[in-house]
Amino acid sequence: MQLARIDGNIVSTISHSSLQGWRTVICQPLDSDGKDEGLPVLAIDPLGAGMHQSVILSTDGSTTREVVKDKNSPLRNIIIGIADT
Amino acid sequence: MKLGKVIGNVTLSEQDPAYQGARFLVVHPMSREQIGGAEDAPMIKANTLVVYDDLGAGVGHIIGYVEGAEATAPFPQPTPVDAINAAIMDEIFYNPPSV
Repeated sequence: MQLARIDGNIVSTISHSSLQGWRTVICQPLDSDGKDEGLPVLAIDPLGAGMHQSVILSTDGSTTREVVKDKNSPLRNIIIGIADT
Repeated sequence: MKLGKVIGNVTLSEQDPAYQGARFLVVHPMSREQIGGAEDAPMIKANTLVVYDDLGAGVGHIIGYVEGAEATAPFPQPTPVDAINAAIMDEIFYNPPSV
């Protein structure tokens, strides 16, 4: 899991079936002192985090597969928490 | 899942039977400027990937690709794939804070 910031979202109609219906956000991973680190990552967001909000991003596929209830889903990034500060 | 631009495709003469009916795309990861819509932004120094695709993406499309073991999840039997096209982007709304 890592800290990330929501920088946008995407719309995709042609995708794997497990992605349909989920809000998909663009997250910018952050390093320990909050600066951008690496390339943006697409994640599904069941929590409805706001723009530029700090969130906790999980890169684990099994967590994501459980949430989307599809054991064949290739998704691996999901927002599992919204950071307060 | 990361954003990548499809810059080509690969056709195989010999392939693993598990690949039947699929296509392979040549995909390059997108920089933040490119995601933000800058058409003339330079391509970043990263590995260009060959991505398994059964959604029908073509050259010029922006896709969301997944790397790693999760890329084999959609297959019924073990398949030698480590990057798969999970979504073709219709619209991207991207505005990082301008700090």
